[in-house]
Amino acid sequence: MLVHIPSPLRSYTKNQSEIQVDGDSVQGLLANMDKSYPGIRFRMIDEQDGIREHIKLYVDRKQIETLNMKLNGTETIHIICALSGG
Amino acid sequence: MASLNKSELQRYSRHLLLPEVGIEGQERLKKARILVIGAGGLGSPTILYLAAAGVGTIGIVDFDQVDLSNLQRQIIYTNDDVSSSKVERAAARATSLNPEIQLQRHDVRLSSENALEIFSGYDIIVDGTDNFSTRYLVNDACVFSKKPNVYGAIYRFEGQASVFAHKDGPCYRCLFPDPPPPDAVPNCAEGGVLGVMAGIIGCIQATEALKIILGIGNSLSGKLLIYDSLAMNFDSVAIPKNPNCPICGTNPSIQKLEDITVTCESQQAPTTVSISATELERELKSGHKLLLLDVRTPQEVAISRIADSTHIELAELPNRLSELNSDADIVAYCKSGVRSNKAVQLLLEHGFKKARNLEGGITSWAKEIDPSLNVY
Ligand SMILES: [Zn+2]
Repeated sequence: MLVHIPSPLRSYTKNQSEIQVDGDSVQGLLANMDKSYPGIRFRMIDEQDGIREHIKLYVDRKQIETLNMKLNGTETIHIICALSGG
Repeated sequence: MASLNKSELQRYSRHLLLPEVGIEGQERLKKARILVIGAGGLGSPTILYLAAAGVGTIGIVDFDQVDLSNLQRQIIYTNDDVSSSKVERAAARATSLNPEIQLQRHDVRLSSENALEIFSGYDIIVDGTDNFSTRYLVNDACVFSKKPNVYGAIYRFEGQASVFAHKDGPCYRCLFPDPPPPDAVPNCAEGGVLGVMAGIIGCIQATEALKIILGIGNSLSGKLLIYDSLAMNFDSVAIPKNPNCPICGTNPSIQKLEDITVTCESQQAPTTVSISATELERELKSGHKLLLLDVRTPQEVAISRIADSTHIELAELPNRLSELNSDADIVAYCKSGVRSNKAVQLLLEHGFKKARNLEGGITSWAKEIDPSLNVY
């Protein structure tokens, strides 16, 4: 499914703003992302499996509550990062 | 109602023809008071369009001077404005565009001491700042004074916009409760930004502010607009009001306005032994054998570098420590000394005997030792 990558994480995705990743849950999707783009998961998820405070994950434009959320593969994922520039 | 004079009727005729605006709407705009925080990339188009639209009173908060590196995106200024006060030049430019309106100059740094007092003179606040500390301060002051916060932020090829603290809508802390740790999110001064991003997002902020005054359409309250200029997509995601929000939730922990420090010079990073540019030059001249370690990005290195430096970008340093001699006397540098401070910590943690940080980075070196170097 299509995953939108915020600018601060694009150094991991060769500057691509959108990537295709599979996964049957958000957790699985993040694991697959990390296989293709090593290190990217840790920038979003901390050691306790919590979503970092300046990151938000959206499935079909709705904020997710848990990484265990199931996916059927047709969703659109947005990763949002707090930006400060002006 | 503030009535329009003959020349105003002509000036605003394209507004007056809109059924959603008309004479009544234009008179509302004339009565409106909007405060723009930051006369930078976002503030430039916002101020110009609000002035052109006939917003009767526009306040501008900024304490900075125009720098040559601003002109790539801060289109309210001209080349002749470099080194002048931003508030002064931006207000003069807006007045020359539309002498019918009032400009209020707030040539100060926004703080917890002055924010509520400054905000009290306005109906709507536009956040065009360039750092998290001021963004959280603007949000908190908007929540406390119950004024909409028309938000915009940009980085590289991306932009975001929303309206926070509008009526019963969510605030910025509903989305991101606390500022990120320093260095978790780079700013434009470190990572760069396509200048046009400021134009697009600043114009969206101006649009939202005008819609709120006119009471037309649906605002971005409760939504975050995301602009990806590389894919050329506009998209928006929902921002629910967060009952656990530390400032607008049901049990808020923030009761009064406080300054938030998220500067790069945060206390969170232990400071390492540093060396000034002049000391470094003396040591190099005396023939003392030093390893100069440049931890900036390749793009920065291409702009300027100190001769005979070894380049390993900070992000790669953890994996490339073996390339460095752990007995060497290392002086690390970056643009201003923040990233190199982290590099020095990393080196010392990994058993390097002697590592110091060049105070003020290559910027100080260019200022004090080698003015021929390009600054950025
Ligand atoms: Zn809130």
